[in-house]
Amino acid sequence: MVGAGAVAGPALVYLAQAGIGTIYVDDGGDVDDADAGSWLFTPDQVGQPRLLAAIERLRATSSLVRVRPYATDVDPTATLVCAQSESVARKAAERARRAGLPHVVAQASGDGGVVVAIPSGAPCFGCASPPGARLPSRAGAAAAIGTLAAVELLLVVLRLLPGRGTGRRIDLAEGWPSVRPTERTPGCDCHNVY
Amino acid sequence: MAETSECRESPLEERGTMSALHGKTVLVIGAGSLGGPASLTLASAGVGRIVLVDPGTVEPSDLAGHPLFVEADLGEPRGAAAARRLSRLFPGVDVEVPAGGFDEGSAPGFVRASDLVVDASSHLPTMFLANDSAAATGTALAHGGLLNFTVHLLTVEPGVTGCLRCLFEGPPPPAPEAGVLGPVAGLAGSLLGAEAVRLLEGRPGAYAGRLLVHEVRSSRSRSVPVKRRPGCAACGAISGDRAALDGGLP
Repeated sequence: MVGAGAVAGPALVYLAQAGIGTIYVDDGGDVDDADAGSWLFTPDQVGQPRLLAAIERLRATSSLVRVRPYATDVDPTATLVCAQSESVARKAAERARRAGLPHVVAQASGDGGVVVAIPSGAPCFGCASPPGARLPSRAGAAAAIGTLAAVELLLVVLRLLPGRGTGRRIDLAEGWPSVRPTERTPGCDCHNVY
Repeated sequence: MAETSECRESPLEERGTMSALHGKTVLVIGAGSLGGPASLTLASAGVGRIVLVDPGTVEPSDLAGHPLFVEADLGEPRGAAAARRLSRLFPGVDVEVPAGGFDEGSAPGFVRASDLVVDASSHLPTMFLANDSAAATGTALAHGGLLNFTVHLLTVEPGVTGCLRCLFEGPPPPAPEAGVLGPVAGLAGSLLGAEAVRLLEGRPGAYAGRLLVHEVRSSRSRSVPVKRRPGCAACGAISGDRAALDGGLP
């Protein structure tokens, strides 16, 4: 899991409860007031490292899941990218693609956001979602995007997404999800890696 | 890899609507897998008072998909355990857990004392009781439901939109309970909470007069218009806008 903020928090809770064996969390920030929507942090944890505070809560949530800080020598099955930073999200998605890992990228914006599922062989995140401006998310939007991303990750890991090697993009706008298959941008060399 | 902040959720104090929402009371029926994320969304938006009605206790099945409960909560009253965590996360929110459940005796009082009803009961007779009570008191109702991999969301604005009984007339016969994947409930509850916030802020409801049916495996969404039905036992007697009665949406 890349991120432990308002989108990542709800996703982390549900993945921990869903029976994922080990979750590695990658987040270098501290808890601040804007993390209130993450469902993980209490006000007295403001200023603590988000990573450690998240791990503490997730371990209490379920004794069946192992939650650890991410290290470069670990070998995850899949990656969920919920970074609040656009540049961090794109770098993490590209790193997962180059490692051959199925991945899901979630970004909240305004009253909704976007979730892109990228199974092995599918068009990359850059093809599915060109860079663009994002708005601060409204109440519930980040949680909806985070939970939707957790659903997509489970479907990818369990190979329950319809169509092999097919990615999809879900846009959530004003409470209504809409889906479309992703397409490779002409000239993108992302098909060369898998 | 250190993460930098570029796009953050608005802090509570930056939300212009916070002061308005602080004066609102929301009745949340059910503190289960739908009511948990819905309550979290309401609290994070700055709603001042949440009345959480749930007579059950925390069961092992709750731990498979509930953002408010941890293993130490097993066996505790569900409403109290949920309220405790909500209050720790959002100390400024008054979370009230009345004794007893939402039944024919208590429903009118609960609904009348609320600005909005959130039905997260996942219990068919309770859904219809919430619908009828909301219609009888003219209180807006945000309703959420789950069936396997499918999310259902509907907002009822009495006198303006159709209601649950306009659509179904009455509860269907009991059917075997089906399991729900935790994050699917989280998605439904988050969308339900966000809809409640929209209504409290005076914005149009995303599901007002139209039922969202979203199946997560295909990720297909379907919109089912819910028009007012003349003769509806719940809302048929409410005099409303003629255009709405004819099926027009606000």
